[in-house]
Amino acid sequence: MSIELGHFALILAFAIATVSTVGGYMFWRSGERISLFLSQGAVLQFVLVAASFAALIQAFVTSDFSLKLAADNSHSLKPLIFKISGVWGNHEGSMVLWVMILVAFGAMVAAFGRRLPSDLLSLVLATQSMLVAAFAGFTLFTSNPFARMIPPPLEGADLNPVLQDIGLAIHPPLLYAGYVGFSICFSFAIGALISGRIDQAWARWVRPWAVLSWMFLTLGISMGSYWASYELGWGGWWFWDPVENASFMPWLAGTALLHSALVMEKRNALKIWTVFLSIITFSLSLLGTFLVRSGILTSIHTFASDPTRGLVILALLALIIGGAFVLFAMRASALRTGGLFAPVSREGALILNNLFLATAMGAVLVGTLYPLLLDAIAGTTISVGAPFFNLTFAALMVPLLIVLPFGPMLAWKRADVLGAAQRLIGAAALAIFLTILISALGGISISLAPLGLLLGFWVAFGAVAELIDRSKLGRIPPAESWRRLVGLPRSAYSTAIAHFGIGIAVLGIVATTAWETELVTTLNPGETAQLSGYTIAFDKSSQVQGPNYIADQGDFTITAPGGGTRTMVAQRRTYVASGIPTTEAAIGTYGFSQLYLQLGEPLKDTHVVRIWHKPYITLIWLGALLMAGAGALSLTDRRQRIGAPRRAIKAMPEPAE
Amino acid sequence: MLFWFIAIAVTAIACAALYYAAAGRMVNATGPDSQPANNHFRLVLAGIDADLANGKLGEPEAVAAKGELAREMLRQQAEVDAKAKPKAEIGRGTIAAFLGAVAVLSLVTYWMLGSPELPSQPLAGRTQASAQDIDLPAAIARIEKQLTVTPDDLRGWSVIAPVYLQTGKYPEAEHAYRRIIELGGGNADIQTALAETLMLQSNGSAAGEALTLLQSAAASDPTHVLSRLYIAAELTRSAQYDDAVKAWDAALALSKGDEPWVTAANEGRAVALNNGVVPAGTPTPTSDAIASMVAGLAARLDTQGGSIEEWTQLVRAYVVLKDLTKAQAAYDDALKAYPKTFDRGDLDAVALEAGLKGATP
Repeated sequence: MSIELGHFALILAFAIATVSTVGGYMFWRSGERISLFLSQGAVLQFVLVAASFAALIQAFVTSDFSLKLAADNSHSLKPLIFKISGVWGNHEGSMVLWVMILVAFGAMVAAFGRRLPSDLLSLVLATQSMLVAAFAGFTLFTSNPFARMIPPPLEGADLNPVLQDIGLAIHPPLLYAGYVGFSICFSFAIGALISGRIDQAWARWVRPWAVLSWMFLTLGISMGSYWASYELGWGGWWFWDPVENASFMPWLAGTALLHSALVMEKRNALKIWTVFLSIITFSLSLLGTFLVRSGILTSIHTFASDPTRGLVILALLALIIGGAFVLFAMRASALRTGGLFAPVSREGALILNNLFLATAMGAVLVGTLYPLLLDAIAGTTISVGAPFFNLTFAALMVPLLIVLPFGPMLAWKRADVLGAAQRLIGAAALAIFLTILISALGGISISLAPLGLLLGFWVAFGAVAELIDRSKLGRIPPAESWRRLVGLPRSAYSTAIAHFGIGIAVLGIVATTAWETELVTTLNPGETAQLSGYTIAFDKSSQVQGPNYIADQGDFTITAPGGGTRTMVAQRRTYVASGIPTTEAAIGTYGFSQLYLQLGEPLKDTHVVRIWHKPYITLIWLGALLMAGAGALSLTDRRQRIGAPRRAIKAMPEPAE
Repeated sequence: MLFWFIAIAVTAIACAALYYAAAGRMVNATGPDSQPANNHFRLVLAGIDADLANGKLGEPEAVAAKGELAREMLRQQAEVDAKAKPKAEIGRGTIAAFLGAVAVLSLVTYWMLGSPELPSQPLAGRTQASAQDIDLPAAIARIEKQLTVTPDDLRGWSVIAPVYLQTGKYPEAEHAYRRIIELGGGNADIQTALAETLMLQSNGSAAGEALTLLQSAAASDPTHVLSRLYIAAELTRSAQYDDAVKAWDAALALSKGDEPWVTAANEGRAVALNNGVVPAGTPTPTSDAIASMVAGLAARLDTQGGSIEEWTQLVRAYVVLKDLTKAQAAYDDALKAYPKTFDRGDLDAVALEAGLKGATP
């Protein structure tokens, strides 16, 4: 009965969301009672959807194949962790996860939003409920995860073996938390547009949500990139695949939103733009969901290639996004513009940041959608590949990264570029010195790599320079300087760490692109191969049996250039239930570099082995982790803590007047 | 029933929680709306001073910022004053109506979508259960009993006849099929099934009534394959080879070429042609056929391109045909079409094994 109760819980949540939407939009002006009703409704939605999700998990864990979803996507021999993660390794289940994160954010707004003005709170929760009703309704009526199968089959059809990985337990929940988190910013934007209440306080309420979602999205994308790189056996970290772009566009827009919300919160400027970005960011999240789900793009993410579902999502998308933009068009002119500032100022730098990020987002959007539109309208198939994205994206990112270290150095309203440049001289000198040193040691031929390195070092050291500058190191006694450094607000640290992370990621990208080496060869057990100073010895080849697969296994001994050996194991698995083969690469991490070994198809008496050496590739993901960590740090800043402005007052210095 | 009891209880609890959150407590109608705003202005003011102290804001700019802040405060104050008193709080009746809507919407939706009678069936709990959960003999007995009461029930006979046939109760099956035809449900399929029942009772011979039935079925439906196959088999069995060849041809004329029975029909035709003796060596596709298939694939890949699997198939085919020049050419083309190693899947391994010159890593 637990399955049917879970089904009912999801339906009840849908009903509460539907009624909350209608009630919220009708009575948002009526004061506190409706906002209390909606808050309670948001909490109940969360409890009910969580219960229904738990029912799904229980059916998967107990291999209850009378649930069609479990019969289609699970197998009794699967390890427990994959039984659980298998719940969202398919279209229907992942929609429930989507809705579950949506209601979790709604419940958080209800819990932390007691200090919000009741009319804004009502509008935010009504909009959130509308999204829940739309997506829970879509799930229930077009892709019901609780469909039953009687009589139940004896065994399930198993989960796609590529998804039987710890990555499935991590990547989708994080990514969804990022996508869906931006729904809060969207709901706040809709609330602001309807109520006309848009001021600095609004930005203060919105920014923590934007930071939180951005943090999850950063983690989700980077974990997806890492997962793809080790599981799909391609060894790359980014392919400008439309599915990747679908997640990258909201990230770019979200990054712009973080920065513009900062201007709005501090200086009451960029109001209309910030509202616009809030809408755009969530719209792009929805677009990503649509692109990935509709079957328009074929990839490992295409669970449902059923055109009717795609059409329904498209209709929802048109309704939600279209409605938001109509509202924006009607109301934006009524919003007042705020604080004044000179072109050269912190505000100006942040606008520049927004300009470049928005343009880059536009370039990715065009490159992703143009082939699809052309295919749909003219029937011609073209492919917009990595060269287009690399060129346009790099052309937009290089100037952005060049000016990035200046941003935090500039004063609000009117700033002195020359002064900022002077304070960055140390960082520039260090970056140039290191670039020349590395280039000389590496014996680099003419290429763009040194310029890329220079850029990466410049951004990284520029970020540190800001902290050093604010601690007045060298200008006052070291002890006092240390005291100043420790006493800096966490927001200063989070800015520096996030920007440092970008520099680190740039360094990783440049190094691995410029110096990656690859070798495809045949090896017999007992033979060795050489690549970039590493000696790879193929020790033995064997057959092993896993819980639900059998595998060809190759054992290798790697000798690093600096001496030191370690063993690595690569497998080619064939999953019993589906007969699908997967490649489990062996990855050895040396410092920040990785040696990547893949066992190819077994030939008559030998094995094809592919070996890549990827120098400093882990810096890319490390950079992303630093960025996400910076987001977490900024959330702990007392001035930003969600819904806690009152407590924060005590921490602030008393106004001078 | 228990399910509905729990479902209604859950709905009632949710509605009660909603009701007490909204209507159950005193609501302060003149909410302290300006309080958070004032806090916010204090924060911004403190922020300006902090920025000024850090050098993040120049002296004149800080004054300007404070001016902007003051104007914003005044504007907002005026707005609050000017704002008409908020509409009256929603009444308890409205909330009750909302709750009614929640209950109706959820119960009706579940009634449409759910299967309340189905229990959970975890694997551990049904180790004994087989796919045949239905008690077949009991079901048959029930239908039989029903048919003694209503012997004119065409649907009942239609359900039970194939079951009799499959369980080897041929006389019962024969009776059932005859009832179906008597009741007007006869068609080519039913006639053929009855003929099949008769044949099974007479060791495969379709002489007599069975053949008449089959011919009648074939005549009534010009596209009916099974009856024609049985006729051809019967003619072959009774050594009327000339007619048998014609009958096999008639059946084969209805095929699209890839049906599973085509092989058997071809074999039967060959036997009939050979006057009842199985010919030595069944025909296999010639190497000419393979070559033409490979050439077709090559031409298609050349003009339209194709998937990496198709390229791999082509290279592999040339290797099998020992035409290494063409294999190398095809491999080169494939490298052009798929320049990335990753995209090429197993192609490189095939080429490497055959000794083809590959892309330089």
